[in-house]
Amino acid sequence: MSLIRTSLHNAIKNIARNKLISVLCLGIIAFTLLIYGIFNYISFNLNLATREFSKSIEAIFYFKDNVDINRIENLIQRVKNNLLVEQVIFNSKNQAETNFTRQFPELKYILTEFKQSPFPASIEITFKPEYSLDTKVTSFLDEIEKMNIIDSKQLNTEWAKKVMTIKKFISIVGLFLSSILLLVSIFIIYNVIKLNILYRKDEIHILKLVGATNWYIKFPFIIEGALLGFFGSIMASVILFGLLKLFPTYATFMFDLIKGMINVEIIPHFIFVRLIVLGTAIGFFSSLFSTQHFLRT
Amino acid sequence: MIEFYHVSKQYVKNQYALNDINLTIEKGEFIFLTGASGAGKSTLLKLAFKEELPSKGQILIDSFNINLIPEKKLFKLRRSIGIVFQDFKLLTRRTIYENIAIPLVIRGERKSVIDKRVHSALSLVGLTHRRNYIPEHVSGGEQQRVAIARAIVGNPKIIIADEPTGNLDTELSVEILKIFERINTNGITIIIATHDKNLIKMFPKRVIRLEKGRLISDWSKEEIL
Repeated sequence: MSLIRTSLHNAIKNIARNKLISVLCLGIIAFTLLIYGIFNYISFNLNLATREFSKSIEAIFYFKDNVDINRIENLIQRVKNNLLVEQVIFNSKNQAETNFTRQFPELKYILTEFKQSPFPASIEITFKPEYSLDTKVTSFLDEIEKMNIIDSKQLNTEWAKKVMTIKKFISIVGLFLSSILLLVSIFIIYNVIKLNILYRKDEIHILKLVGATNWYIKFPFIIEGALLGFFGSIMASVILFGLLKLFPTYATFMFDLIKGMINVEIIPHFIFVRLIVLGTAIGFFSSLFSTQHFLRT
Repeated sequence: MIEFYHVSKQYVKNQYALNDINLTIEKGEFIFLTGASGAGKSTLLKLAFKEELPSKGQILIDSFNINLIPEKKLFKLRRSIGIVFQDFKLLTRRTIYENIAIPLVIRGERKSVIDKRVHSALSLVGLTHRRNYIPEHVSGGEQQRVAIARAIVGNPKIIIADEPTGNLDTELSVEILKIFERINTNGITIIIATHDKNLIKMFPKRVIRLEKGRLISDWSKEEIL
């Protein structure tokens, strides 16, 4: 307990003493985490958008004329038993005619020309949202389409697929950019701690001679790194929160590419938690590596 | 208590800083280690608190081979030895009180214990009135007394001093030596490296002389007298 208190005290003193280096370091960490946070936010919103699209994804299969009703019932049963499927609705030829009449009453007279319903029987399959864009769904649909009782199909997954593609692209760009910037942060903290170790070389030597343990010497540096990461992430979180909360219009404008998909009203708090944990972890591990490397005797 | 068996130290190939040293120092002894500059005095002391490793030979403290102490456990050895340097090695940004308290702080001692023991150490070296000064604001002799206080505050079994009077005039040197004598009366082994012959004459103790890394004489207090 005493070691933690002393280390915390020394670490804060060190940060305050090396103001310029500390401010630069905090700025870089905050910038890095802000970029990471923005990509996280975009990714979160695209996920929401995808989920929204996925909810309404359905496939309609039209049957050929004069198909044996038993074969249709077999197919319906098979589809119902599939774990990917949320709901199956069967529309007979007559049901299709009724639906048409209900939707377009002014065109009802056309149907008088036909002895029986000109519309094909069909089934509407709605998939569970979590599986909607799954490749299993695609192969399942292909399987049904290949059946000789099926005439044609109709799908509305295109939009969702486009959003998914954008999301994947943004995730990759975000991951790439964030990784580079995070490496920069690690490098910066690593070197700030290295400079501090070199600056306090004599003090460290004295502490070793009077019997300080390795941990007693290392710990303030590790705490210092973790604090830099922590404060940097707090700065990034505050800026991100400000951007999202106070300037929603500006934020939407910034992400013009996907304007309309981002719901600026929703501020996902888990992103801030993620930033703080990540920032502190980066600081902790960078300074740990630095002390392991530069405090060897 | 401290034993050197055939200890040699080479920094450069074929050049011995210490060459085949055999030496035994009993508990509570007061020893002067003397010789010209480069004779190997500092090297011998550094080997005793394992700041340097011997190239050959064994060093035993309390019958324990210190070569076998792993890096992680080295602090235990260092806590049993108080070290005093010619250049004092004080932390310039900390007060005299804080400097002396370091060996106790790193052990996690309670504030009340630290206060009490730092006060005793300050009294022993006559510096209670300077406790809140920073080292730069006191004289060289006083800084050395701070270093001695820091060395004794953790109740070590041995005190090793490398040219503790090297930067001081004769009067102050005598004062410092008297402090070491006082500490020695409590049974603490004292080993002082010095090239000051006058001091050695003034304080008759066992004298070990080194020359070019070799132990060339070991005179007891009685022989000196």
